[in-house]
Amino acid sequence: MINDRVRSSAGLVWRHQRIVWWIFAVNLLLAWLGSLPVLATLSTVLDHSLESAKLVTGFDIGTFVLLLERPDVSARSLAPGTVGAALIFLVYLLLIDGGVITVYLEDRKLSRAEFFENAGLFFWRMVRLALYSVIPFGLLAAADGGIAGFAGKLSSDAPQERLGFLVNVGSKLVLLLAALFVRLCFDLAQAQVVRDNERGLLRVLWGSLRLAFGSGILFAKYLGVGLFAAVTFAIGIGIWLYLPHSATGASLLVLELVTLTQIASRLWLKAVSARWIALLPLLPETVQEAPARAIEATDVLPE
Amino acid sequence: MEIRCWRICLIAVAALLTVGGSAQTVPLSERVVAYRIEGVYNPKTHTLDATEVLTYTNHTGATLDKFPFHLYLNAFQPKSTFMTEAERSGDRDVEKGSGWNDKHFGSNEVKSLEIVGSGDVTRQMKFVSPDDGNANDRTVFEIALPRPLPPNQSVQFRIHFVAKFPEVVARTGYKRDFLMAGQWFPKVGVWWNGAWNCHQFHALTEFFADFGTYDVKLTLPAKWNVGSTGVETGTKDNGNGTQTVSFHAEDVHDFAWTTDPTTKVVEDSIRLSHGTVKIRMLMQPGHMASSARYLNALKGTMRKFDEWIGPYPYAQITVVDPPHGGGAAGGMEYPTLITADTTWWMPKSVLEPEFVVEHEFGHQYWYGMVATNEFENAWMDEGINQYMEAKVMDALYGKATSNVNSRLATDGERGTDRMSYVPVADRDPLSRPAWLFMDGSSYGGITYAKTALMLLTLENLIGEKTVLHGLQVYFDRYKFKHPAPTDFTATMNDATGQNLDWYWKQAIYGTETLDDRILTASSERVDWYNKAEEKKGVTVYYNEVTVDRRGTFDLPVVLEAKFDDGSTVRERWDGKDRWHRFTWEHKAKLVSAEVDPDHGYLLDRDPFNNSWTATANRKASGKLAGYWTLLTQWLEQTLSWLA
Repeated sequence: MINDRVRSSAGLVWRHQRIVWWIFAVNLLLAWLGSLPVLATLSTVLDHSLESAKLVTGFDIGTFVLLLERPDVSARSLAPGTVGAALIFLVYLLLIDGGVITVYLEDRKLSRAEFFENAGLFFWRMVRLALYSVIPFGLLAAADGGIAGFAGKLSSDAPQERLGFLVNVGSKLVLLLAALFVRLCFDLAQAQVVRDNERGLLRVLWGSLRLAFGSGILFAKYLGVGLFAAVTFAIGIGIWLYLPHSATGASLLVLELVTLTQIASRLWLKAVSARWIALLPLLPETVQEAPARAIEATDVLPE
Repeated sequence: MEIRCWRICLIAVAALLTVGGSAQTVPLSERVVAYRIEGVYNPKTHTLDATEVLTYTNHTGATLDKFPFHLYLNAFQPKSTFMTEAERSGDRDVEKGSGWNDKHFGSNEVKSLEIVGSGDVTRQMKFVSPDDGNANDRTVFEIALPRPLPPNQSVQFRIHFVAKFPEVVARTGYKRDFLMAGQWFPKVGVWWNGAWNCHQFHALTEFFADFGTYDVKLTLPAKWNVGSTGVETGTKDNGNGTQTVSFHAEDVHDFAWTTDPTTKVVEDSIRLSHGTVKIRMLMQPGHMASSARYLNALKGTMRKFDEWIGPYPYAQITVVDPPHGGGAAGGMEYPTLITADTTWWMPKSVLEPEFVVEHEFGHQYWYGMVATNEFENAWMDEGINQYMEAKVMDALYGKATSNVNSRLATDGERGTDRMSYVPVADRDPLSRPAWLFMDGSSYGGITYAKTALMLLTLENLIGEKTVLHGLQVYFDRYKFKHPAPTDFTATMNDATGQNLDWYWKQAIYGTETLDDRILTASSERVDWYNKAEEKKGVTVYYNEVTVDRRGTFDLPVVLEAKFDDGSTVRERWDGKDRWHRFTWEHKAKLVSAEVDPDHGYLLDRDPFNNSWTATANRKASGKLAGYWTLLTQWLEQTLSWLA
């Protein structure tokens, strides 16, 4: 049953793969634009230097660090483009979230106008939800920092040498699961907001939290997709490690495929939550407000 | 009867050899000091209650009326010079601005001091601070003799002291049950260059002491493993849960020991030109995977030193593997005892266990035998040893892979040295006393890395074998002595048959930096006014390369130019100007030009501007920018977890 549902959510992503490609394209384009100053700087130093061969046929750490130690190639001066690209990408995703979730809720191709209408309609609510999510994610990050510090102390002081490491790894796994759960809550909230055109975000979040807690199967689905993402990432990195250093094109292609898989996995999670919400009955008080395109249940209700 | 006497004599000689901890019967050094120390270690309080009898023989030629002593463990107190400097600038084990931590408290408390034959002089002990005048620093004290000591006479001090060890910091102290006891006893200063040399303990300094003999008896918990400088000469079970272990060492200038109930002992031996040397390793149970790595690196290093520098004259070398959390005890040298460094998860591709063991064994030569003043001339032990590390590690593990050797990335000793040298290249001269360096980065980058790069660069000027020969001669002349920088430079000049003072002046006493670059390069038709089409192999070009000296370090420059007909030329410029133009009229265009084509000038701060190619090759910049793009994509993806 779980497999069926995971598959059906995957089918959603597959059927609407245009979204994956678009997001991937914007992800790549923004990153490329953010990296142009890096290319320009590196070209000035490396393109006419024989020393650059050490970075092509292999990756010599000493050469690379000497490159970064040049005043004109400091990582700090090159970072703003990268950070800027990441922030713009986040805004872009928040902007299209409404459209993407509508597609997954309704499982139909929207016209461009419909897509952006929904995107615009829900943009600020998506931004508010993202801001709310900073709180639990921030707490988790703080917990991770605290536990890592404690684990470091254990690594130094505990009689058992590996205890600190085990605590660190174990806590990271637990925190990752917690992060996945938080994401599930917010994804459910996003889907609910879009389906019901709901404006009371805190009420929706509270409902999503209860729903997430009450649906072990739903979290299991998230876990399954998360594992898929982790496994494909590990496989991709494994393949990349076995490619020769000089095969830059093939290496980047493999890593781009990894990136594509990660993006698809993230959308898969959104599809899982959207589908789950789509199959829930409308709440009595929201039936009146529900848009005309309200979803028809096409599958059994979640247990 | 005769046979019996002969056998007894033979056994006595054999016993002497074993007990002496050295294959020599004739002293290798001028034995200035003879220490006899007996102590009881309390593992609960991490204290050692001991009595030291020091016999000092005056070989100085002068009459001595006072004696300075080090009390190194007093450095681990809040107002000490060591801790103040560490708090302000950071230290290997104490983070800058980390504040006082009670676990770092250590002390050497002298309970009584008696000059044998003259009575108790404890009240006359006077703490002095010759380096910074810090009245709260108690790492050096002086004692005036009631009667001056004439040349060739001896004086005996009997000192009752209690050493309290800190949780391991600056190479000494405890971690759980493990103890690394370094700099633990009152140690007399060195009469050097006509004066007492006894510096305070600073955050960036190491040590300096005279050669002599050590007879040490330690009472410890029974069955705890023990390792030390020299050799173990006996163990007595006291029947009360303790044991008393005796050690002897000679022709050494320090004595360190370690104990731990959980270590596993790994023993081996190696046959070298001077005889067989016993190898004793005290391994943490969780680090056994590194024991073969330690052993291979140690044996390889010992063979290389035996071949390149000279024999290791001691009977044993002990390797101590500190426990987790005890890293501050790792990577340290003491005579015939070194501490290593590893973890339970140390990847094979990271050669840290190897280069630490290599480096610390190298100190048996550059510190142990050639006993330079580590306070004032740290480069002479750390730096020369770092050069040897590069040579040995390169020979054993490959020039480009001697530090990191994985599929993902590689790194060699030279690369690591350049990484630490380049950012601090012009901060401090090598000749500066260690405690006067700007900070720890400068101390490390200059003392270790610059010296190694200076000698590697010298190889390019006078040849690798010549440099190694020079070091061999230097070792022969100054083993078991305390050479000064001028002894090193004069010996190198002498051994290599060249006056290299111009080089030493810049590299040791100055902060000159080297950065030669190709400023411009071009190929123009000689008949530039001719409008006829160019013909390959017929048209004559005026090729020129301008080399610009951006740094201040004067070195002759070799330039290699390659042309599109496959020909190559090498030309030399004496480097006595800010720039130089190389020109060729040739029926071919320049393809590339490179200064230092053999990549031997490792002092050069910027290797990227050393060469020029006519055609752009975008592979490296494209590759790095591609990966940067990918990292940006992943950062985007990570942040998008909020959406």
